[in-house]
Amino acid sequence: MQKQAKVINNKKPLGPRIRKYWQFYLLFIPVLAFVIIFHYLPMYGIVYGFTEYKVGMTPKFVGLDQFRKLFGIVASDASEATKMLAARKSQPFWLAFQNTIVFSVIKLLLNTGFAVIISIFLNEMISTKFKKVTQTIIYLPHFMSWVVTASVFTLLLAVGQSGLVNNLRRSVGLEAVNFLAEPGQWKIWYYIINVWRETGWQTIIFMATLTSIDPGLYEAAAMDGAGRWKKMQYVTFPALGNTIITVLILNLAKIMNLFESVFVLQNDAVRNATNVLQTLVYYEAFNSGAVPDLGYSVAIGLFRSIVGLVLMLICNYASKKVRGRGIM
Amino acid sequence: MAKQKKIEQYITPAGKVVSGPPHLNAPKSPYEPFHFVNGIIFILVCLIILVPIWKILVDSLDLTTGSGMRLFPAKFGFDGYVSIFSDKSLLQPLGISFLTTISGTFLGLLLSTIGAYVLIQWDMPGRTLLGNILMFTMIFSGGTIPTYIVLNNLHLVNTIWVVILMPAINVYNLVLMRNFFEGIPASLFESANLDGCTPWQTFYKIALPLSKAALASIGLMFAVAYWNDYTNYRLYASDRNLYNLQMKLRDMIASSDQPSAVGGATENTIKNAVIITAILPFMILYPFLQKYFVKGINIGAVKE
Amino acid sequence: MKKLIALTLALAMCLSLVSFSAFADDTVKITILVDGTIPDQNNGRDAFEARWEELHPGFDLEIWQPDHSAYYTDMQQRMVSGNYPDVLILSSTYYADFARNGVLWDMTEAWENSKTKNSGRFTGDNVFEGLKIDGKLYGFAPTRGNGCVTYVKKAWLDAVGMEAPKTFDDYIKMCEAFVNNDPDGNGQADTYAISAAGFIGNEAPFINYLPEFYQDAYPYFVQQEDGTWIDGFLTDTMKAALERLRDAYAKGLIDPDTLTNSTAQARTKFYDDKFGVFTYWAGTWATNLKTNLEANGRSGELIALPPLEGVPAYFDRVPPVWAITNKCANPQLVFDTFIDTMLDGGDCQMLFTYGPENVYYSFEGGFHMLENLEKAGTNYTKFHIDPMLALASFAEGYYDPKEESVLPEAKAASALFNENSRLASIVPATEVMGEYNGQLTTLKNEMVANVIMGVKTYDQALADFQAAGGDIFSAAIVESLNALN
Repeated sequence: MQKQAKVINNKKPLGPRIRKYWQFYLLFIPVLAFVIIFHYLPMYGIVYGFTEYKVGMTPKFVGLDQFRKLFGIVASDASEATKMLAARKSQPFWLAFQNTIVFSVIKLLLNTGFAVIISIFLNEMISTKFKKVTQTIIYLPHFMSWVVTASVFTLLLAVGQSGLVNNLRRSVGLEAVNFLAEPGQWKIWYYIINVWRETGWQTIIFMATLTSIDPGLYEAAAMDGAGRWKKMQYVTFPALGNTIITVLILNLAKIMNLFESVFVLQNDAVRNATNVLQTLVYYEAFNSGAVPDLGYSVAIGLFRSIVGLVLMLICNYASKKVRGRGIM
Repeated sequence: MAKQKKIEQYITPAGKVVSGPPHLNAPKSPYEPFHFVNGIIFILVCLIILVPIWKILVDSLDLTTGSGMRLFPAKFGFDGYVSIFSDKSLLQPLGISFLTTISGTFLGLLLSTIGAYVLIQWDMPGRTLLGNILMFTMIFSGGTIPTYIVLNNLHLVNTIWVVILMPAINVYNLVLMRNFFEGIPASLFESANLDGCTPWQTFYKIALPLSKAALASIGLMFAVAYWNDYTNYRLYASDRNLYNLQMKLRDMIASSDQPSAVGGATENTIKNAVIITAILPFMILYPFLQKYFVKGINIGAVKE
Repeated sequence: MKKLIALTLALAMCLSLVSFSAFADDTVKITILVDGTIPDQNNGRDAFEARWEELHPGFDLEIWQPDHSAYYTDMQQRMVSGNYPDVLILSSTYYADFARNGVLWDMTEAWENSKTKNSGRFTGDNVFEGLKIDGKLYGFAPTRGNGCVTYVKKAWLDAVGMEAPKTFDDYIKMCEAFVNNDPDGNGQADTYAISAAGFIGNEAPFINYLPEFYQDAYPYFVQQEDGTWIDGFLTDTMKAALERLRDAYAKGLIDPDTLTNSTAQARTKFYDDKFGVFTYWAGTWATNLKTNLEANGRSGELIALPPLEGVPAYFDRVPPVWAITNKCANPQLVFDTFIDTMLDGGDCQMLFTYGPENVYYSFEGGFHMLENLEKAGTNYTKFHIDPMLALASFAEGYYDPKEESVLPEAKAASALFNENSRLASIVPATEVMGEYNGQLTTLKNEMVANVIMGVKTYDQALADFQAAGGDIFSAAIVESLNALN
């Protein structure tokens, strides 16, 4: 229907169309003003990515040096030793890059998947009181800061007597495992803790979608003799689909920002294997014994943004193919 | 294409006469085994979620310091909470938290709904461009220091305005809001247009009333973001007089590390009481918001 | 010649600025940027400021105090926007880097001629030697840095019938008894001897928490007698230290959750009688450990252990310093007024140590500290300068309330630490270091954890360390440090 309308409208000249919508442009001005002030004006800061810039010093233009440093690129006529240093230095960078993407994507899929399932089943609940209590409880973890979350879970996963999980293992005759000290185990628990903390809160948006489904649709389906599963299949899922795709794509933009959840759960034994970009940069600065260079962190930020942009464009393209339109 | 199908679905029931309570989820018999199993599953889910939180709650009410899991406090007492609420300087941060949360949520919802409403005008020239201008800010940012300098030049640093205004523009929420508006049949807007409504009238007479659940959920997301805001305060409004509850509580946690924290409550008790205190307002408030989440709106009924 | 001209110009500029400000306004403004170590507005900062201005007529003190946790971010933001303070507080890393990059005013000469240094009360010459960078002083520390001492639970020693250990062998015997002989008397084998927040510290002096095992090993860059640098991590002493730790860990003496403990979790376990030997801050923390143990219904009596035989003294951290920026219009005046009076042995030192009168303390009915303005039920213990760590005593005849204000166990722990500590030194930051040291430290810490927990043997772990480039990073940094000489 809209497509048809669009075709008709496209035949009209641009001038009248703009005039037709002048009130909408007016309405959009405040939104635009906020975005410009709080987001676009500070963007000049991106130029620092091409400088060396420490506290108390004037920025020095260094071209692409910060990016070369990041990727471990050295001049071809550099000595063997320099090349070796650069190669070793960039090893953890690529691992961290890979970790960032893998952790974020798995986390995103798990969280969204569970959130959708929980929302659907929560929506099927009859007792409003029970539903209310359940919803309040599953939102609670979102209010715990990551630091608190990490401190409680390190306790629950401890090897010693306080470790609830290991106590359970011991009680059934299994050996205690130092879950957070081994990279493989660490990753599993990282996902579990993320699901624990974020899934409940993510249901908010899906619950809202479910409750705004026109009840008439269910009635129509019921008249056609659809049972619970058929109704879910033909009414609930299609209605949720749009929201799911939107949520997934929007979160892709933030994929490279992964920091705090990883940071608070890391320890010396797994840091190298579980670093993501942001934690790697943090430790590089924190343990360097020198004052951090602003230019370097801006350069990394820029790199993250570009990766985020590429990921979003890919998904937007996929979305256009699959459902006929992109996110905007 | 999928779009088209969806709208047809909406229109089909709209033509029918709806009678009786429209809620289809109400089962014929409340004792269906499905609901029983569903209930059990959710009890388990809640238990799993509550275990770590229980640890914090117990510790906040325990005057001794337990390092492991305890089912109940070894020495029960409210001293942790008493020492928080006897702090004379807690009132102002609490006031600031309420002020920023209420005004910020209102402003945030206003910007999100207006922005979303403009962005569903599919035929509006430049619509995609405006959308992309917003999306771009989700990915690229100038960083905290340039932001600070811009805010400083606008004389916003260390004022309450910065913590109210800055989080109000949230592209993520705006796009979600637009997603909800899309669900409203275009025919409704068209008929409002034919009735001579201005865009603004259509907005608050059609778009807003039909999106109650969306407004509640996105409003809640805004409210919680404002309530939990710590980063913006720390970076752009770290003046003591502007502390909100989160800043104040973090400050308390930091200073409970200091050797001066004696009296009835130990350092551990206070710390855990602080964590619980930060959630309390939400637990009190949420049940009141809940009513917006349970009712679907029958579009057909609205149209008639 | 050039130097002379520059000097004359600088002098002329200073003079004109002084005269300008003198004419423009009667008062001279001094801006200071401080972190949370100066109490904030809710804790008597305004009274402090008023009292300071009263003690320094003709001066106006302006205090900039960002949130403590965002101190360095805020500093960077201010400086980038051109808002330089006259004076600021800096941690040792920032101090060393700023000094090297010309952000700070060279106060060597001012210090040599200062009242404080020549007062006869000053006891921190060695601390100030350690603060010098290339022989020049850029910062002033009113206190020493403080460090950690090892506390042993007296009740546990009594329960297993032992004396405080003097040698490493005795120490291990004691630890074994703490694990095997049910020192807490609850009938369960649920105790460890030692726990800590990590096997290795994340900032200098790194080996704070397990000094009995690390002994003379040091995992960072060390300057040797002849002035050359080495990486202490790759020495045999470090290997021996890691093996000592590995053996103790294998015997179950060390809490297996040491790897993931936060400092708060380690403290909590100590209060909960999960372990008996805890290396933690000297001074006021001794009191805090005691009160928390007693709140748990346990004996709070702790023995602060002098270093074991053959084990070097505890490490004293490089203290944070007050420095003057090179954007300060009249640094000498600021030095004389603000910095040189902080330890004047009289009213000003009293103000910095015990805070403003009738807010922090009162003489009514004998000297006593007053109740905390924010936290009812607790008393203030100090303002900015910890009386136990101050580098100068009060002038003779001036009333020093130390006896009344400091609790005995804190005083004892502090005295023991002062007698048995050595200064950590500042390692200069080179560009190469800034580039590779972060990654190197991650590799070192990973190796430490894996060797101690028995995941890898020392040789395996070393091979992995080298494969990841640890040895070449280390060598490059050592080379860059040696190039400074």
